[in-house]
Amino acid sequence: MSTHAAVAPIDHHNDPTTSTGIPNKKLLMWLFLASDCMFFGCLISTHLIYRLHPPPDNPIAKNVFSIELTSFSTFILLMSSLMMALAVNAIQKGNLKSMRWSLLTTIFFGCIFLGCQVYEFRNFVYEKHMTISNSILGSTFFTLTGTHGLHVLIGVIWLTGMLIYSFTGRLSERNAIDVESMGLYWHFVDIVWIVIFTAVYLLEYL
Amino acid sequence: MSAPASPAGSAGHALELSKFWIYVQIAMLLAVITGLELVTVYLPFIKWLLITVLVVLSTVKFLFVIFYFMHLRWDKALCTILFFIGLVLAGGTMWALLKLFGAEAAKPLETTMAQPPAAISAAWLV
Repeated sequence: MSTHAAVAPIDHHNDPTTSTGIPNKKLLMWLFLASDCMFFGCLISTHLIYRLHPPPDNPIAKNVFSIELTSFSTFILLMSSLMMALAVNAIQKGNLKSMRWSLLTTIFFGCIFLGCQVYEFRNFVYEKHMTISNSILGSTFFTLTGTHGLHVLIGVIWLTGMLIYSFTGRLSERNAIDVESMGLYWHFVDIVWIVIFTAVYLLEYL
Repeated sequence: MSAPASPAGSAGHALELSKFWIYVQIAMLLAVITGLELVTVYLPFIKWLLITVLVVLSTVKFLFVIFYFMHLRWDKALCTILFFIGLVLAGGTMWALLKLFGAEAAKPLETTMAQPPAAISAAWLV
């Protein structure tokens, strides 16, 4: 039995032990992501609604935002998604060393993104004088992008935990689903940013 | 038992190898699309056309990430269905809220007070 298990290739897209054919961890993650879609949908809607009828004393978003910095952050997050996909690909092939390097790069890119966001927030508060409480634009913008940043931070902590866990010797091709579930979360953070980048930043420049 | 599993295994291995290059190519494509989005906002065209282009480009990016990076292309259809239920609910809520608050009667009082009283009462009657 054990010999057969060692020889047979692992099908990472089909789990015969569950009634749905989907590993339970992956199913749970997709359900969570579907609910998180609604959460971010509400936050983005709130921001857009207040942008429809801005109060007269509201700061002009175009003068506050820095499109160069945001574009750089977007590029970094897209590249982190690539590295995450490569990490999942590596662990599914049982290549632990490659997975560790890919995870480390993903963490690095995630930290750069967070650093850019901290810099952007500091710039808005101290240079542009836009805080979370002094304008509607500030309230909706900081709530939305701050919540996204919190998701990135959780992702970075999770990635770091997984990287450390990989050194215990308990992570192998057999439990690649753990890395894949984490990857789903990380890619979700990326797709939310794709929407935020267009809806919150780019539309202001039209 | 291992002999019949071999062709499937090599096919699977080939798929895993090709996946690497698929991911790299998609990441490059996503970077190019982001660049295009950036250029689009500075183009001197009609606003609605630019908004449409931006929405289409971000939708393409979104779909590439969920179907390739998140493996929906290779996973069971149930994963896609589950995620799209959340996505449709979120999109529907956004659409409904924007329609509601985008209506003329939803304008804040500060904006409507700037108009003559007759126009305000006419707006309320409608």
